[in-house]
Amino acid sequence: MTLDQFLSIVPQSIVNGLMLGGTLSLVALGFSIVWGILNIINLAHGAFVMLSAYFAYFMFTGFGIDPFLSIAPAMLIFFVFGYVIQRYIINNVIRAPLLVTFLLTFGLEIIFVNVALNRFGGDYRSITTAYSGIGFFIGDVRVPYIKLAALLISLLIAGALHLFLSRTRTGNAIRAVGMDIDAAKLCGVKIGQTYAITYGIGAALAAAAGVLIGMSFTITPDMGGAFNLRSFVIVVLGGLGSVPGAVLGGLIFGMVDVFAGVLVPGLKDAIAFAMLVLVLIVRPQGILGKAFYK
Amino acid sequence: MRTRISVLMLLAIAVLMVSCAPPAATNVAPTQAPAAQVTSAATKAPAGATVPAAQNFAGTITFGAPVSLTGATNNEGKYTKDGYDLAVEVINNAGGVKVGDKFYKLALKFYDDESNADTSAKLTEKLITEDKVNLLLGPYGSGPTLNATVIAEKYKVPMVEANGAAENIFNRGFKYSFGILSPGKNYLRGVLEMAISLDPNIKNVAILAANDNFSLEVADGAKQYAESKGLKVVYNEKYPPTTKDISSLLTVVKGLSPDVILGSGHLQDALLVVKQSKDLNVNAKAWGFSVGPATPEFRDSLKKDADYIFGGAQWTVALKYNGNDVFKTPDNYTKLFMAKYSYEPPYQSAESSAAVITYQKAIEAAGSFDPDKVRDALAKLDFVSFYGQIKFDERGINTFKPMAVEQLQTDGKKHTVWPADVAEAKPQYPAPTWDKR
Amino acid sequence: MSATEQPAQVPAAKPSTVLARPIASRRNLIVRGIVALALVLLLVFPFLDFVSGALIRTVTVVVMAAALAQAWNLIGGYTGYPAFGNVAFFGAGGYATAILMAKMKVDFLPAVLAGGIVAALYATLLGFPVLRLKGHYFSIATLGIAEATREVVANWDTLTGGGSGITLPISPLRPQQFNQFMYFAMLAVFVGSVVLTYFITRSKLGYGMVAIREDEDAAKSLGINTTQFKVAAFALSALITGLVGGVYAYWNSSLIPEDAFNLDYTLRAILITIIGGPGSLFGPALGAIAFEFLRNFLWDRFPGLQFTFLGVMMVLTIIFMPKGVMEFLTGRRRFTPRDLLQYVRDHRVS
Repeated sequence: MTLDQFLSIVPQSIVNGLMLGGTLSLVALGFSIVWGILNIINLAHGAFVMLSAYFAYFMFTGFGIDPFLSIAPAMLIFFVFGYVIQRYIINNVIRAPLLVTFLLTFGLEIIFVNVALNRFGGDYRSITTAYSGIGFFIGDVRVPYIKLAALLISLLIAGALHLFLSRTRTGNAIRAVGMDIDAAKLCGVKIGQTYAITYGIGAALAAAAGVLIGMSFTITPDMGGAFNLRSFVIVVLGGLGSVPGAVLGGLIFGMVDVFAGVLVPGLKDAIAFAMLVLVLIVRPQGILGKAFYK
Repeated sequence: MRTRISVLMLLAIAVLMVSCAPPAATNVAPTQAPAAQVTSAATKAPAGATVPAAQNFAGTITFGAPVSLTGATNNEGKYTKDGYDLAVEVINNAGGVKVGDKFYKLALKFYDDESNADTSAKLTEKLITEDKVNLLLGPYGSGPTLNATVIAEKYKVPMVEANGAAENIFNRGFKYSFGILSPGKNYLRGVLEMAISLDPNIKNVAILAANDNFSLEVADGAKQYAESKGLKVVYNEKYPPTTKDISSLLTVVKGLSPDVILGSGHLQDALLVVKQSKDLNVNAKAWGFSVGPATPEFRDSLKKDADYIFGGAQWTVALKYNGNDVFKTPDNYTKLFMAKYSYEPPYQSAESSAAVITYQKAIEAAGSFDPDKVRDALAKLDFVSFYGQIKFDERGINTFKPMAVEQLQTDGKKHTVWPADVAEAKPQYPAPTWDKR
Repeated sequence: MSATEQPAQVPAAKPSTVLARPIASRRNLIVRGIVALALVLLLVFPFLDFVSGALIRTVTVVVMAAALAQAWNLIGGYTGYPAFGNVAFFGAGGYATAILMAKMKVDFLPAVLAGGIVAALYATLLGFPVLRLKGHYFSIATLGIAEATREVVANWDTLTGGGSGITLPISPLRPQQFNQFMYFAMLAVFVGSVVLTYFITRSKLGYGMVAIREDEDAAKSLGINTTQFKVAAFALSALITGLVGGVYAYWNSSLIPEDAFNLDYTLRAILITIIGGPGSLFGPALGAIAFEFLRNFLWDRFPGLQFTFLGVMMVLTIIFMPKGVMEFLTGRRRFTPRDLLQYVRDHRVS
């Protein structure tokens, strides 16, 4: 590729990066809140994204329900699902060593993915609505409606989460548990329940992202795994415990991913992980530092 | 305390050794008893050849095959197995395989390889050493085939495979592997050939390939052919086989405005290329994919966006071969297949059936089902089947059968459009840009 | 190995129960007798008449799994660093062996040894930056390294064959002989790994590793060079993993990046170690036998659902006995339903 050709696609790539990054930040937000508050690397997170994408798919193909309308019900269902999982499974080992929770969520992921594989088969599916792929131009730059909407919805949900955590009683309880569990207990916060709510929120965020991802990518039972790793990198980039950090991390990741894809498509992930290791070593607290959802 | 551990360890080893053996015997559960099916289906088969005293079989020749019935390629594995089963049944109904002056019945013994290459090798070994099958049929996919053929080679048992098109399966100097499909490098050749004949003005080709051995071969073959015809390959890039996003590559492709865009990957990648091309308004006069358009999921997923897309096909229902085998024509094959399974045969089934037919011919030519004699007969085989010409080059792959081209057309159906002499519809060309559809 | 000669004399953090206690007693003799018997059984079984090639293969898989778990045990079990990227060393060892054998016509034995050394060097190189990280960060960084290594290998066409993979020379041995040969090669690596682990646990290095696991800061304050110890443990873990990778490459006779760097190998090693009991000498072997037996069993009974069961098994093991069956076997913990529930109660929040 010549320099001229490269420069000519820079604007489009920036737009691509923003739109990809927006959705990724939404995935990473849920991952971040569970990690930050519960100190769990939730490897089942990607599986929630996948299951929710299937939910949107079946609602669309079975009942003709527009995927955008599936977002709210998906979030609700997965909130309950996540709540139950945390309350009745993960809470049992939450005080055991890190490796234990790590492997536990991984076990859950294996179950979800294989049940999906068993029920839905390995077929590739995708949601094709009447407006799929349609978009508008800004100069030479193409902006697809769905992806623009996904970016806006992601930012909207991130904003809502931020307000929820800082303005509501439950939100304050969640943050209190994340900062100092003993103090929170003394103030009368129910730890087990708060954990379950937090995990439920994480699952709900994954569900919202899952619907949006299902609309612009293909859906398979194994689609989720990649999101765990990406979420981790994003959270580390932006700083654990920060909503703006996750969003910023997501956008940066999106940009790096897109430009790596333009220049060295084969080494996209290698570059992402080189970035991860570098950040971990140079600035372990992330770009925005540890803020604990303030 | 440690005594206890050691005793238990010893016990555990013993238990493991013992417990590993029984599955060989007990694991017939997933295997269908072919004999039971044969009789029930004999009445169903509508166009089966006249049955000469079917009961007087001198014995049974058993084929072994690892097939993916679960895991990532469970559908393709099922198509493969259905193809094997149908051919075994139809041949048995027609009197079995003639060895010398005796007739033998065919049977199939298979295991589920979980779409995993390692497991496929393990099961191949099990089929040879424990089930003592006579001859081997291939698993589904290039990866499992690559591993399974190694085992077959070691034990000097022929494996006729129908579902692994990567040529490097055959570039290892193996003597017992035979592939009846056209090799990877021919997959997209037909699309280019056709595009040139439709429009002498096309100049630029862009190729996107998944980084796995089959897809790379397809891309390489397409590139060589394009360049030999004076076309310019303006973009030829590979992406990780598990990728979920190709938009970056497509952004680059868009800037190069190629006349033809070729995708060499798998169904998922093909869907991604089409979806994201529409997102980004990337256009071309012709779109061709190696794998994807032939499967029903392609149309299901993309709806109208699948229109105008070409795909390479090993075999289609519409082809006009007149074969010297029990199935004779693609048309007749389709009838028999639909009668048994109630769905239109995908090419995976057809090629799998053709693999069984190939063995029948080789065994009859050798007058024996001794692995080495069958191997030598396979090497010399040359006949036309309902699936096309079957003949192996010195490496054991069928380089003689041409590939067809299918197109998903605006009437919502899939039509065979190339080679021109067997085409059932005219190609719709050029594809309109996305905003004009 | 110089560490082996050193008597256990490090006054560091009490090495707790997991280390073997050198009590020269009659019981010790019996243990040795039984271990010897097990070894004899392992040595003769491939020559028995009724043993098919497929059975030898199955047992080789078990031995391979045990060796990989033993390797992981060094860094994950004894040192307490949950590495999730060990498959990087499996792949590195495998590819080094494959390249040497296929492109430079090196013999099997030197090629495999070189594979192990390449893996160990790679781990040493990575160890210094990565072992500064702890907990989740370390886990994911190693996971990322494995993925990144796979991508580099998949794109380094001239050296590794890229996505098309690399094919090794086919052995001239007859199938049954080849199976026996590969079995013994794998067994040698496994026995080597057990012997290595045994000596490590009685050396300064072993005590240091356990001290790091129990309390890294305390270990440091006692004058243990934690960085050196951690890197040594990581490199030894990689050495074994790389040797297994090399043997596997020849056994399989071809490698593709997706297979050689399949995350499954790492996960299986971890799960097996957990089942068997992390930080114990025979845990991985027991875990491998239990795990592979269960896997074969599930594969027979529930085709298509085996992985789901695997997940369920993993969840149940983690919730009820995260210290593995080792505890059960040694009688260190009782396993009545009441005890199991008590364990859960100790670790839960409500």
